[in-house]
Amino acid sequence: MQRRTLIKIKKQVVAASLCLLSITASAQDRKVWASGAARSIFQQNSIQTANDTVTPRQVVSGHALVDLAVNAKPNDQTFLHGMIRIRNDFGGFWGGGVTFDLRQLYVKGLIKNGIRYQLGDMNYKLTEYTFFSNDEELSGHQVEALNIYRDITRYDLFFNNDNTWRQQGAAVDFGFQFDSKILDELTFDLFSSRVAANFGAANDRVFLGGSSALKSKKGIWVGANYIDLMDLNGTSQSNVRFHNPVVTGSMGFLDTTRTIHVGINWESGVSRMYIINDPNASEMSDFFVDGKIQLYHPKSKIRGHFDYRNVGPQFRSVGAQSKRINYQGINQLFGRYQSAQIVRPITQMDLLQDVSLFQIDLTPQLDDYNPRYDNISPYGKATPNRKGWTVGVEGTAAKQLIEYSLNLDALSEVVGQGTEDLRQFRRLDAGVLVNLDTVLPKFNKPLEVSIGYQNASTTRTTEVSEGNIDLTTGILDLGLKVGVARDVNLMVNLRSINASGNELYNVRDNYSEVFDYTPLVTNLKEQLVLLAFQYKVNEKNSLSAIWQQLAWSDNKTTNQDFDMNQFAVVYKSIF
Amino acid sequence: MKTRALFLLFVSTIFMMSCERNTETEGPKLSDIYGDFNVLEDFAASTSTVDFSKGENVVFTARFNRPTEWEIRISHPSGSEKVLSGRSREIDATTGVWDGTTNVFPSFSNGQCTAELFIAADSSRSSLNVEITGTRQPDGTVVADFDNGVDPEWNMFVQSGANMSFVTRDTGIIPQGSAYFDMGGEVNWDWLIGLIDFEADSYGPDGFGLGQNPENLYFNLVVNRPVDYNNGIILFQFKEDENGDGTFTEASEDLYAVEIRDLDPGWRVWSIKYSDLVNLVNGTPAEPNGNKQHNPDKIHTISCLFLANPSSGYSQVFVDYVAFTKGEPLKL
Repeated sequence: MQRRTLIKIKKQVVAASLCLLSITASAQDRKVWASGAARSIFQQNSIQTANDTVTPRQVVSGHALVDLAVNAKPNDQTFLHGMIRIRNDFGGFWGGGVTFDLRQLYVKGLIKNGIRYQLGDMNYKLTEYTFFSNDEELSGHQVEALNIYRDITRYDLFFNNDNTWRQQGAAVDFGFQFDSKILDELTFDLFSSRVAANFGAANDRVFLGGSSALKSKKGIWVGANYIDLMDLNGTSQSNVRFHNPVVTGSMGFLDTTRTIHVGINWESGVSRMYIINDPNASEMSDFFVDGKIQLYHPKSKIRGHFDYRNVGPQFRSVGAQSKRINYQGINQLFGRYQSAQIVRPITQMDLLQDVSLFQIDLTPQLDDYNPRYDNISPYGKATPNRKGWTVGVEGTAAKQLIEYSLNLDALSEVVGQGTEDLRQFRRLDAGVLVNLDTVLPKFNKPLEVSIGYQNASTTRTTEVSEGNIDLTTGILDLGLKVGVARDVNLMVNLRSINASGNELYNVRDNYSEVFDYTPLVTNLKEQLVLLAFQYKVNEKNSLSAIWQQLAWSDNKTTNQDFDMNQFAVVYKSIF
Repeated sequence: MKTRALFLLFVSTIFMMSCERNTETEGPKLSDIYGDFNVLEDFAASTSTVDFSKGENVVFTARFNRPTEWEIRISHPSGSEKVLSGRSREIDATTGVWDGTTNVFPSFSNGQCTAELFIAADSSRSSLNVEITGTRQPDGTVVADFDNGVDPEWNMFVQSGANMSFVTRDTGIIPQGSAYFDMGGEVNWDWLIGLIDFEADSYGPDGFGLGQNPENLYFNLVVNRPVDYNNGIILFQFKEDENGDGTFTEASEDLYAVEIRDLDPGWRVWSIKYSDLVNLVNGTPAEPNGNKQHNPDKIHTISCLFLANPSSGYSQVFVDYVAFTKGEPLKL
């Protein structure tokens, strides 16, 4: 019976492919064409833990997949896109392994040359306090070698570099241009998406919102943003309904007429979170203020910025505070280890490549986070209960030889947790990229050295000694990229994470309110060494051989030390 | 530019002045949580004898001056254990109820049990005795309890591998009743080691009689992963006959499934809500082929497949008391 199923699936795949090819063959005339991506990964993984007699030492895995898209432009105002994914896991589960899925489907177009719309899958964002997919932890200073895997993970889960969230619904954009000496344009962006379909078991959940901006010809603009994650009444027998409306106002201006360009942006807003007909839920409401001054000196290409923010402890914005990573998840690779088969901690290597640790849905509660990796802004700028400033500078020096950036955060809590005393947060983040190939023109191949360092600390002193907090995290990234032949690069990366000290991790209930604290004591040492050879045919096609080794230890926990090795061959293509 | 900057400053100041914030501290006070610890009310039980077969239970109580981590370990000379634990100021009818269920099997039998309270804050222990006069009767719609061996109505297929053991056993720890089922073997050419099909027809004219509500229905089993073997996967498939033609048609009817793997060693109750089941194609969630609605009243066949990676060697798992419960997971 299983063999019959497999044959059937393969027949469907072949039929779909033939259909696609026939469509493509007549693409020129009918404005129909195919596009897509292909990938194949073969990897060998191993784990070493002292006295572990149960966990298999090695796992070999791999897959090949093709994302085939049909694009159609039936007229000048309409664009259709449908993508299927055919995936074959090597030595697949139970003798099979072929899956055939619809990956994305949307239509977008233009009405009367004035209103743009999109239906189906769409990527959307508003501001960092309303609708924004913050980068996952440890993605700063990321060098190219680490991005080989990270980009695969992000592609699979629709996490784009522009911090949009993947949604399914509808969006409309339109605007008006003014024939005036003062006003320039007024724009509107509106969207609605279906977040959870519960088929009558519970209320369907939708996420809707939009923004509007009025721009002047002198660089001044004012705007408004609104979002609400809400349960739809009547879509089930339940009368319990969640709501999280957020309204913000923003304004700013940009002056590029002077020697130093000046930009000022300001956003502030209020949020409410409440559950109708749930007697245990209390309403949460709060506000935030965010101001930013940006300076740019075009001649020297130096940029600087100064930010101030004050985000209340009860500010809740599901679209901006939902995390990409689910720290409650279990690693797919060596999910349990030691003879006792306890859950293996999530490491930086897992965060690069384990798609099962990521979530693409908006979560109404504040997600868990790992204070060892980021205790200061785990929910991005919208992290509740933070106030303070950030200052930064970036630029280039010595005729593009050096690119640098420096940022400093000095934040504190707005209100204390369990005490009047506030946590103090400090973070220094510096990065330097030396493009040695710019001073070695005869080398004619890439030669780059990068150094990134981040030091973050959390401190609090209280009358109750158990409430004293002192947690420090240091992250060092060293990278080297050398062109060893034409289109062939050797990439080396070392990333070391050291986190030590203690924190009282707050435990929240189902309504995101703190009801307890869990002492966290750590002495984490994570070191990832990665060596990669990459043959880059062009920007869209590459073949890489990657070896990496991770050493993990934390002698303040009951988890045993472990090392993981991985050798992989990765082929990626976009067509 | 000055005018514009002043305008922005004015607006932001107005906004901040117009907003009011609750400046109370978040969460419970540290002084409450980490202050001196005292027991305000000693450890006690609501009764000294209990008959679980009549639906009775025991309520343990104690009260402290601040939230603390506590653990009540109830043990029987046969080796049965039940652990209640929590972190609270008070142990009461919401946190300290024992309904005769078990954490460490075998199930509790009649006789005297010892209940010991351990408080982490001061490392103190206090204990009391409770006499069981009647044991808990497991509830639910039983699919298989293996007490009478393998029902001839079940369809069983076992590969011809090495050291195969698809048999009932009545030795060692038996979590429920008088026997459990042992699935083991090594098949180095296929993931499948063996399977059992439980067809609804063999359970009477109403089949499994599970009702229509998938939100209120739990599928349960008692399972034991031996310490030495962690490579086995139990795959349960629930095949629905949506059109009522007496057969399950894979291409047009729903199949829901769940894989049970990576278990901790030892006997334990494993449960899943029927509505949480998904369609699995080669282990990957996929769209069901039928009406895409969970219809427990239309289950035609429940298949229990024991699988392992062909290259991973011998694998083994024990199961007992496969049953559906309504309203809550199985308590045993």
